Amino acid sequence: MEMETNYVAVAAGEEMGPTRTIARSWIRKVADGGECGSSFTAFPPKPAAHGGATPLRFPSRRQPKPRLLLRNVSKFCVRPSLLLTVLLGFTKDPYPNIREVALDGLVELSSCIVVEDQSLIEGCYFRAVELLFDCEDSVRRSAVCAVSEWGRLLVACNQDQSKKEWSDTVFVQLCSMVRDMDMKLRVVAFDALGKIRMVSEDILLQTLCKKALPATKEKTYCGQLTAKLRTLPASAAAFAFVHGLEDEFHEVRRSACRSLCMLTAVSAEFASEAVNILMDMLNDDSVVVRLQALETIHFMAISDHLKVEEAHLHMFLGTLLDRSDSIRSTARNTLQLIKLRNLAMFRLGIDALMKNLEFYPQDEADLFLVIFKLGRTHGKFVGSIIREVFQELEPSFEGKLAFDNARTVALLVLAISVPVSFERRICTVPPQTFSYAVIQLGRISRGLFDVVNQDTLLAYLSYCSRFSLVSASEFFKGEEPALQLEKRNDLLCQKSNDTSEAHLTSPLLDCLANLHDRVTSCAKIVLRKISDIWRLIELGCMGEVIQTLRSWKEELSKFTSDSSQTVGVLAFALQYIHVIKLLGKVWTRILSSRNLRYHGIGVLEVLLGKIDKRLQDMWYRFIGLSREEELHLLEIMLLSCVLRLSYLETFNFEASLKKICTISSRVENLCKEEAIELSNFILDLQKLLCEIGNSSDGVFENIYLLQKSLKSFSLRQIVLSGEIKHLEAELNVRDNDFQNPLPFILGLPVGIPFEITLYNLTSEKRLWLTMTVDGTSPQFVFLDLHEFEGCDEIRKFTFVAPFYGTPRVTYFSLKVCIAMECLSEDVQLFKDYEGPKPELSFLCKEIEVHLSTPVK
Amino acid sequence: MAIECLVLGAGQEVGKSCVVVTINDKKIMFDCGMHMGYLDHRRYPDFSLISKSGDFTNSLTCIVVTHFHLDHIGALPYFTEVCGYNGPIYMTYPTKALAPLMLEDYRKVMVDRRGEEEQFSSEQILECMKKVTAVDLKQTVQVDKDLQIRAYYAGHVLGAAMFYARVGDVAIVYTGDYNMTPDRHLGAAQIDRLQLDLVITESTYATTYRDSKYAREREFLKAVHKCVAGGGKVLIPTFALGRAQELCMLLDDYWERMNLKVPIYFSAGLTVQANMYYKMLINWTSQKVKDTYATRNAFDFKHVCSFDRSLINAPGPCVLFATPGMISGGFSLEVFKQWAPYEGNLVTLPGYCVAGTVGHRLMSAKTPAQINIDQDTQIDVRCQIHQLSFSPHTDAKGILDLVKFLSPKHVILVHGEKPKMATLKEKIQSQMGIQCFDPANNETVSIPSTHYVKAVASDALLQSSLSPNLKFIRKCSERGSDFGGLDARTKPGLKVFR
Repeated sequence: MEMETNYVAVAAGEEMGPTRTIARSWIRKVADGGECGSSFTAFPPKPAAHGGATPLRFPSRRQPKPRLLLRNVSKFCVRPSLLLTVLLGFTKDPYPNIREVALDGLVELSSCIVVEDQSLIEGCYFRAVELLFDCEDSVRRSAVCAVSEWGRLLVACNQDQSKKEWSDTVFVQLCSMVRDMDMKLRVVAFDALGKIRMVSEDILLQTLCKKALPATKEKTYCGQLTAKLRTLPASAAAFAFVHGLEDEFHEVRRSACRSLCMLTAVSAEFASEAVNILMDMLNDDSVVVRLQALETIHFMAISDHLKVEEAHLHMFLGTLLDRSDSIRSTARNTLQLIKLRNLAMFRLGIDALMKNLEFYPQDEADLFLVIFKLGRTHGKFVGSIIREVFQELEPSFEGKLAFDNARTVALLVLAISVPVSFERRICTVPPQTFSYAVIQLGRISRGLFDVVNQDTLLAYLSYCSRFSLVSASEFFKGEEPALQLEKRNDLLCQKSNDTSEAHLTSPLLDCLANLHDRVTSCAKIVLRKISDIWRLIELGCMGEVIQTLRSWKEELSKFTSDSSQTVGVLAFALQYIHVIKLLGKVWTRILSSRNLRYHGIGVLEVLLGKIDKRLQDMWYRFIGLSREEELHLLEIMLLSCVLRLSYLETFNFEASLKKICTISSRVENLCKEEAIELSNFILDLQKLLCEIGNSSDGVFENIYLLQKSLKSFSLRQIVLSGEIKHLEAELNVRDNDFQNPLPFILGLPVGIPFEITLYNLTSEKRLWLTMTVDGTSPQFVFLDLHEFEGCDEIRKFTFVAPFYGTPRVTYFSLKVCIAMECLSEDVQLFKDYEGPKPELSFLCKEIEVHLSTPVK
Repeated sequence: MAIECLVLGAGQEVGKSCVVVTINDKKIMFDCGMHMGYLDHRRYPDFSLISKSGDFTNSLTCIVVTHFHLDHIGALPYFTEVCGYNGPIYMTYPTKALAPLMLEDYRKVMVDRRGEEEQFSSEQILECMKKVTAVDLKQTVQVDKDLQIRAYYAGHVLGAAMFYARVGDVAIVYTGDYNMTPDRHLGAAQIDRLQLDLVITESTYATTYRDSKYAREREFLKAVHKCVAGGGKVLIPTFALGRAQELCMLLDDYWERMNLKVPIYFSAGLTVQANMYYKMLINWTSQKVKDTYATRNAFDFKHVCSFDRSLINAPGPCVLFATPGMISGGFSLEVFKQWAPYEGNLVTLPGYCVAGTVGHRLMSAKTPAQINIDQDTQIDVRCQIHQLSFSPHTDAKGILDLVKFLSPKHVILVHGEKPKMATLKEKIQSQMGIQCFDPANNETVSIPSTHYVKAVASDALLQSSLSPNLKFIRKCSERGSDFGGLDARTKPGLKVFR
């Protein structure tokens, strides 16, 4: 079934018929929301870029989204049915930009209307399919999105067999686009492929094989292979993923890798085929791609779809020696999940870990844990390995202990893992090994911190060293201290499952949720519980509150995480707890001291200053905050402003009030957009602001009113969306300390080589190095991120920054930090009125660089 | 009107690529190559078919050369200097820079070593290159009033391009040699979606379906790593341009990542010079090289140092790149003689070796073997041998992908072997419904061309179009007859049918 849309207009090149002009201006109005919403008028129309013939501006993808318009459809009195017709009509426009916008409109429309008529969906879908063969890159790109979205609807409205059929159809259709010449399109196509949840195994296998497989050879689907060919053979999917993984652009490779990750959950056989090529991806030259490939493998290991052959190990274990920390750590995390089938493979694994230890001693603690865990899961191999290397462990005849050697300690860790092995075999490790391990107790327990605490470890070691044959179960008598922390995790997770309203439906999503760790859910629970604490604060029980918050903080900081998402969530949670603690302190101070005016003011000012600083940090250094989270932060900001106004800045009433009004109107806008109810506090405050605006009362009455409004504040629950990313930086100067200063010459500029690592910073962000000598104003050096290699997630480089103001001394130290300009959106909450530069937010801890004139 | 396509070379064979396309009286010669397999008149295309009188300058509009390989450019000095063609010649900047080197190298080998009759002199090569106009990628060149040409990136070798040519409404693309999967050092072919009447494509691997490049890389790296880890020496004989850089980048990257300290050597000479060209022509390389260029030129290899003869027998492992690729003589043979007798060493061989070279004999030999280099010298080969399978040509899937992407009205296959081309031709016709030809040498294919007729809309039509007629028809019932009720609520001027 197909729907056809005919659109008659004069398609005479440059000459624009009046009709199209009208229609276009209409589409533009709709797209811009130019006539109605006050929030949209901020964008003045620019002159048209394409030829002189069109006086109108067409919305490009970055400008106000049709989504906004579609939310406001009621205001335009446009029914979705009409909108759909118009959009479909314009997909045939001779002007490519119009076609593109029309397709984008269709994409947005698909997400906010409910269509029951399958033929309608089919109509839109096939219209989008037709445009996959457009001459213009941008149109094709939008068409891919449209095919993906309308395909999703199409799949959703079918049942059982036809559902499968349609899902395959959409998948193959998208696969046919991955060989397009436009890079961005390929990225979009792979992203779209990753969204498909149901694909038959034959097709998936075909995407890894170049020749048509017998199972898919004869199959055809409804769709288009070329502009003219109206059937879509299943072989169009051939090699799709391999092409993506071989692509010239790392964006495409990464996207392909990610989609592959999603699809390996669908079929075990596909996963076992895919692992061959994924192992090769570990040889990629881009760090991001290697990392994504490792994460994909990690995910496969979790979903139990990973079968590692000996041939793979060579490539995989190579990543343990990678230069990048995050890759090594992900590789280790994956390795501990892998089941190594025979002794040779296990030996390879242990050897690689030992090499890792040798080349990168800084990984020691983490390595010990991995070795321990690996030993636990492969108990029967450990015995034979330990027997071989036992010579190394024995103290030599001169009585010298070789225990300082990291390798020896690592072997000890391996040895002591045997009795707790899951295989419950009788331990074949010589008992003296355990005594040797006691000598290195501190070092080992630092590594095994996550599994067992030092005391338990000591008890365990001394117990094991007593017998020549030990079995762990005797010692632990049923209880397993080794799994302490993991159990605690489970408990927390269980709780989260009980309380969480959002149920994850498909098993795949469950798996994915697992992947992003229990960490996130723990953080979420803690955050959810914080709102309960507010009552305690109101009662003035600050002691208990601080204790609770501290224990939560400790709990959270125990997690070390490697995935960027969990890092973001953790950092956010910690910051948030801190803010609440500060807020609590302020609150009790206000509650308790009657003579605040004489005593507490200074402290209050410091506390509020800290709160503001923290909030600013949270506002600018986390990306991916949802509207609710933003709203929550804004509300606390508002609270801090009101506190400041009513207790500190009474002299500066007007200006402070203005600030409050700005934030409050923003809160209101946000609430409206998301249809969230305003809290009592804000409602009260708004009423109050109105009153203050209208009344002619004196400042003191108003302040009294404001103080009263504080009473209605109560902390709302914050629910994290889990997509938060933390903007972070690491700064380091190699081999520089007080004793090894860098040389400089009096009065001349000096170049300082900084090793910089940036996390989640897009190249649009404006970063500065601030360098300060005590008592002088800082010098700023701009870091142009376009200049440096790497991707937005992680960017690591060395940068030689000049410092000009060397003082006339023989020795000085320089305080250096990386700061980011807080130039976000149109809100200028923190903007100083006098300073020409926007506010800076510091992304790392300040480091000290020591410089001295060379000694002759 | 029709497009006449005269295949002078590379028709159902590989070698002496040369196709003359006539569109509306414009005659364009694509490539002007020589056949390396013949030494008689067959080595050049039969130019007499273009013009009986021999007045090539007037009968040809221009010559377009896609890249610097001799089977695409070898006959150019002969055609311009000996046959007397004096019209415009177009090629990309890198091709113009590198072509004289290749031609001069060839001339030297032919004349100085084999003592053959000189086909063209060094001066003639230089004279010929003076007539060349260099073009940039995606730069549209107006050859004359009617003819436009434009180059697109083709991968394959440095500076290789596909050419788009347009006369009036007729447009064609000549691909030359191209690669659809990116290398380490070169990108994949890149072209816009154009409205085309004809695509003339190479079909070297018309029936080959190559596996992922990662498998090839892995095999290679594993072999090399294993050898150096065991203290052996690796000899990689390569051609100076292309493979050498590709493999070197691969190794350099791997060395960096694995923290290996074993030295990699480049034998001096052409290879070093070639690296210099690569450094200069960075814009023609792969995305990765371009990306890292801001911080570091990818051809400034970190772990590579130049080789000295005294190092041949120095102890310890090393990796050495040496020319020529097929160990037919020169430095690579010299080193081979020294290293081959030891079991720990490794020699890699390029994917294709000409019969008669040491490389060719090694391909079929099983170690340990005895190989006679000449009457007096016999080498006891005990080292390991690894055959490389890197190729800069696209495979069948790549050709089909390109044809599918461009969706032209007709396809002509050249530069391939006859039976394989026939298979591919069949596939293109059946799978894509595009008419396809595989002409032999000196055959002419004639295909109809597009011609657009200009139509003017009358004022009345313009008037009536003031109200757009957005029809929304359901095809399930009889087409066009099932117009539902008119939506009464629409604004005037917008009529919606359901």
